[in-house]
Amino acid sequence: MNNLPSQIIAPKAKKNRDDEELKRLHLELKRSISSVFGRSIALREVDTGSDGSPEIELVNLTNPYYDIEQYGITFVASPRHADVLIVTGPVTCNMITPLRKAYEATPSPKWVIALGDDACGSGIFKDSYAVIGSVDKVIPVDVKIPGDPPTPIEIIKGLLKLIRKIGKEGY
Amino acid sequence: MSYKDQLKQLFPSIIYDEETDLEEYVFINPKEIVEISKSLKSLHFNLILEFGIENFKNQKGITLIYVFEKADYRKLLIIQSKINNNAESIAQIYPTAVLYEREMQDGFGIEFNHSFDTRKLFLHEYYPEGFHPLKKSFTNAHLKLKGKVSPSEDYFFKKINGEGVYEISVGPIHAGIIAPGHFRFNVIGETILNLEIRHFWKHRGIEKSAENKTPEEGVVFAESICGDETIANTLAYCIAIEKISGIKVSKRAEHLRVLCAEMERIYSLLGDIAGMIVDVAYPMGASQFFNLREEILRWNERLTGSRFCKGMLIIGGVSKDVNSKTLDELEEYLNYFYSQFTSSFLKILENASVLDRFETTGIIKESLVKPLNLTGPLARASGVNKDERICHPYAKTYEQIMNPNKILNQGDVLSRFRIKANTIKNSANIILRIIKNMPKGEMSVNYDIKDGCSFSIVESSRGQNIMFINIKNKKIDRFKVRTASFCNWYAIEHAVMGNIVPDFPLINKSLNLSYEGNDL
Repeated sequence: MNNLPSQIIAPKAKKNRDDEELKRLHLELKRSISSVFGRSIALREVDTGSDGSPEIELVNLTNPYYDIEQYGITFVASPRHADVLIVTGPVTCNMITPLRKAYEATPSPKWVIALGDDACGSGIFKDSYAVIGSVDKVIPVDVKIPGDPPTPIEIIKGLLKLIRKIGKEGY
Repeated sequence: MSYKDQLKQLFPSIIYDEETDLEEYVFINPKEIVEISKSLKSLHFNLILEFGIENFKNQKGITLIYVFEKADYRKLLIIQSKINNNAESIAQIYPTAVLYEREMQDGFGIEFNHSFDTRKLFLHEYYPEGFHPLKKSFTNAHLKLKGKVSPSEDYFFKKINGEGVYEISVGPIHAGIIAPGHFRFNVIGETILNLEIRHFWKHRGIEKSAENKTPEEGVVFAESICGDETIANTLAYCIAIEKISGIKVSKRAEHLRVLCAEMERIYSLLGDIAGMIVDVAYPMGASQFFNLREEILRWNERLTGSRFCKGMLIIGGVSKDVNSKTLDELEEYLNYFYSQFTSSFLKILENASVLDRFETTGIIKESLVKPLNLTGPLARASGVNKDERICHPYAKTYEQIMNPNKILNQGDVLSRFRIKANTIKNSANIILRIIKNMPKGEMSVNYDIKDGCSFSIVESSRGQNIMFINIKNKKIDRFKVRTASFCNWYAIEHAVMGNIVPDFPLINKSLNLSYEGNDL
């Protein structure tokens, strides 16, 4: 089936309706990160019991479609290198201590984003024996990004919200 | 003579129970389980699930259920054994049993005699003593956890002593955008001598949380088992409920379900392929696959309203129909996808530095596949033709349109890379054929929920997922799920042996197992 002419002359990938919005968000990211953080901001993701889809969307932020690294956002390997912790999941009992340790290891000034319905406290597991219920019951949270899971665009908007908040309140 | 008759001849105390088109149920005397397991092993049956259930079929107390499968036999042999908080371990015969037994020890407080491992599994140190969440006497609510844990309560890892041997402990939080898990390496020089994994950091209590919910409310719990197996698990859930209640799904709905399941398989495996290429430091090559993955996720959103197809599957059918114009466009896109994918894939295989890292790395021997109950692409890369779409066809669609799978024998990272690529191409072909033969029909049917229990097996992107549901008084009484990752995780302890530490991330990615699907 590889030799059909329709496959050799492949149609171009469809332009997505997000494209215009994405362009605008990218510009805004670049501008606000430059003015508030002096060019770059380092994020560290901590999974405390999500269903795995928020991680997939965070990884997608670095794919060629969203490519947020070129606007000054990096995902770092250790909380010791991070400005912001992104926490996903309702915080399972088994992850309370690791989450606290990660928060303590992050140098000040530091901020926390709760990502996804579970982390924000409205997920389906909030009353389970195995979880605490939401991230802000363990460590202080600055911005919540709800969604099951939030799309990459929603995550970028959430990041912008945090950066604007820091710009206004200072650190 | 059927296998249960053969067993009955050997063990006259066996009592026959109901029989369906997927299952043969029997009751046994709990004292005979070890001998029965030995006979089943000699008949080449493999243990694929073992779990407990309280007050099953109006019998007070705990019933253990063992699920056995045989390669050329389409039915599952289900052995029920009524016990009193104490049972004989069968881990000496079927090594995977030790995991299920540790799970039940935590969940119900059952003690297993002659077990070689009795450490806690999903309840870590901070849980109170004597707490067993799956017992019916416990109502699901937040717990008062221990404030402090003494060093004597710490989890015990195997210690290896000797000159030059040192330990590396990794996790639970890893250096990447990834779920938590703990890996304890024993290393000599750069070579891994031993690896022990400890999981269940993400244990959310899915099985307990789903209890006492109506079947409709239960759908979101099935969706939340694992993000990139959303459709696979929800499909298993819907099939089980539909079997219990005798609901017949329309042909169109079944085709749409399979279409979503294959879209999910494609984006999930594309992530593995891209990740493996990133892990050998070739991000340029990987970005082609990341692009295709993003496009498939956008297609998911267009078809179902969610990038992960959440909310698409409902009991009795699907929640959204797809119009023929969209299907035509999807067909056009998939033809483009197929040629893009094939050319990018061939380019990767032309790269000597990639091949150098992939070949002979992280070998999983064929002899491990059965004892560890390894399934999915990783079994097919180690010489075993295991695919539930063929072994237990759970949708008629698959019986008509499945291409034979590719099987490789080497069991290394390269084999898994090729098998996953082949699976993606197969899935694209399945979708193209579905679009060509899309029948007319209604999206969903009306139904009444009946009481009863059922198993269902599906092939997720990682292998065999099995689910058991018991409905009592029109509510979920027991929800048991075992994803492919639960068994497949232990393959990694064998695959890394003799490899160097820097190859661990690559081997891990080549298996790409789910933490959340394992921890539940």
